[in-house]
Amino acid sequence: MNNATLAREIRKTVLKMIYNAHGSHIGCAMGIVEILIALYFKVLNIDPKNPLMQNRDRFILSKGHACAAYYATLAARGFFPKTKLDQFMADGSPIAAHVTYGSLPGIEATAGSLGHGLPIGLGMAIASKQNKTNNKIYVLTGDGEMDEGSVWEAIAFAGFHKMNNLIMVIDNNRFQSEGTTASILNLEPFETKLTAFGWSVSKTDGHDVEKLSRTLKKTHSSKPYAVIARTTKGKGIKFMENDYIWHGKSPSETEYSEALKQLA
Amino acid sequence: MRFAVINTIYESALKNKDICFLTGDLGHVFPEEFRKNLPYQYFNMGIAEQNMLGVAAGLALSGKKVYVYSIIPFVTLRALEQIKVDVCYQNLDVNIVGIGSGLVYGTYGNTHCAIEDIGVMRVLPNMKVISPANPLEAQQLAQQSLNIKGPTYFRIGRGKEPMPLNPYRVTFGKGHLVRKGKDITIFATGTILTEAEKAADLLTGNHISAEIINIHTIKPIDQKLIIDRIKNRKAVFSLEEHNVIGGLGAAIAEIVSESGHPGIIFKRFGVNDTYLKEIGQQSYLRNRHKIDGNSIALSIINSLKTH
Repeated sequence: MNNATLAREIRKTVLKMIYNAHGSHIGCAMGIVEILIALYFKVLNIDPKNPLMQNRDRFILSKGHACAAYYATLAARGFFPKTKLDQFMADGSPIAAHVTYGSLPGIEATAGSLGHGLPIGLGMAIASKQNKTNNKIYVLTGDGEMDEGSVWEAIAFAGFHKMNNLIMVIDNNRFQSEGTTASILNLEPFETKLTAFGWSVSKTDGHDVEKLSRTLKKTHSSKPYAVIARTTKGKGIKFMENDYIWHGKSPSETEYSEALKQLA
Repeated sequence: MRFAVINTIYESALKNKDICFLTGDLGHVFPEEFRKNLPYQYFNMGIAEQNMLGVAAGLALSGKKVYVYSIIPFVTLRALEQIKVDVCYQNLDVNIVGIGSGLVYGTYGNTHCAIEDIGVMRVLPNMKVISPANPLEAQQLAQQSLNIKGPTYFRIGRGKEPMPLNPYRVTFGKGHLVRKGKDITIFATGTILTEAEKAADLLTGNHISAEIINIHTIKPIDQKLIIDRIKNRKAVFSLEEHNVIGGLGAAIAEIVSESGHPGIIFKRFGVNDTYLKEIGQQSYLRNRHKIDGNSIALSIINSLKTH
């Protein structure tokens, strides 16, 4: 399956999961599909048959509300059967609308409240240094999430201590819950801020799997690394793209049918 | 008391490289050996408690047993949501060591006092709350914490608490009988145990035989022992250097109200839900809050008279 077909299949799964569960955050999930494909199919040293493999690379989805895409990618990668996703947001199920540690194989940490993933990833990176292992820790944050002070606490520590095994991917869709990041709390340009904190920074197209993979695989001898991935919120479904309302809206029956057609 | 905890963890960390110690830039009291001998296990995380608790969770998710150290308000309330989500929700091996219980830092003002922490930590699922009265208990409970899975919170004093004259053993989760008495029971927690002993001396002079039980583990609480005393005493009292809301007294009140013995005389001694506008030494503030031995004894005598 090529990257485009895989991305389309994952988006279809996400749409069905969120529609069936009357869930939200569909725009957020659609926007990170290629980033997840690049990580899980090209970059991460992981084994879906042995999710707790020693010295594996770790991934934390810090913007835990975009988890439908994460679960769908883990299923596509073979961590668990796709039928498990029928339990998404269901009564009695452990599979919540925010990432929960222990709910599915492959999930490394709980997220949902923003600003938690990078500090946890930093802790994992410190542990890897202690253990003298060469694995890498990847954390995907949202550009809106960068409002949280705790993210910057971790950025400062990682930069100062030259945590070169820590990689932060910023989903740079330029939207947050109530509108554009530029109008709510503009923190751009991230590149100069992160550079000032001692990070190495790359920018790339967040929907080009090959470019993303090459960028994510770059090695950095003495600095933590940030990849600013330019994305489109709601990517793949025209009426959802770049409309912040799809942060929280659940698709109606008509919208669902139309979206399915666009993904066909 | 803090050295009793720190040294216990240090000795264990020398033998076990998976034990880590994080401080929020308040580890200056730690012996230099810590930095020298544990360079990959001891980290000053800077003045950034939210990150520190998140890092602790990340270390624990990587198989480490983590101790996090700072002054109580900073290591509990400042990072509360990280403690909830990262530590307790994920049920990780993170041990929070808070110094400055109650009114120890009274002259510093209420920024540094800790009269809310028991209530806040107690309400978190999976969290265990440990409140030793002296360095002897702190050392033993720190040693026992090495074998406890999941999160714990240590509420410890400062550095000047004396060792008890006669050594004894305490066990995590079990109340400790400090003094025998047949009329009433005072349940106390933390360093204010000494005021319960003063009160019991004064009560003896008034022909009231007061038993003292030290509840060094507030969660899980020794429910069996407390229910036994509710059934077999004329009155029970709680004493803590903490708000009467949410702390030891509240935990005992919950047991009293569900015990089927509602007729028991029961009173909580603690800070009565107030921030004083004046500051002072711990002994001065205990007096102002009427949780010194003399005030407690008088109040107990009155409680027994009016019933």
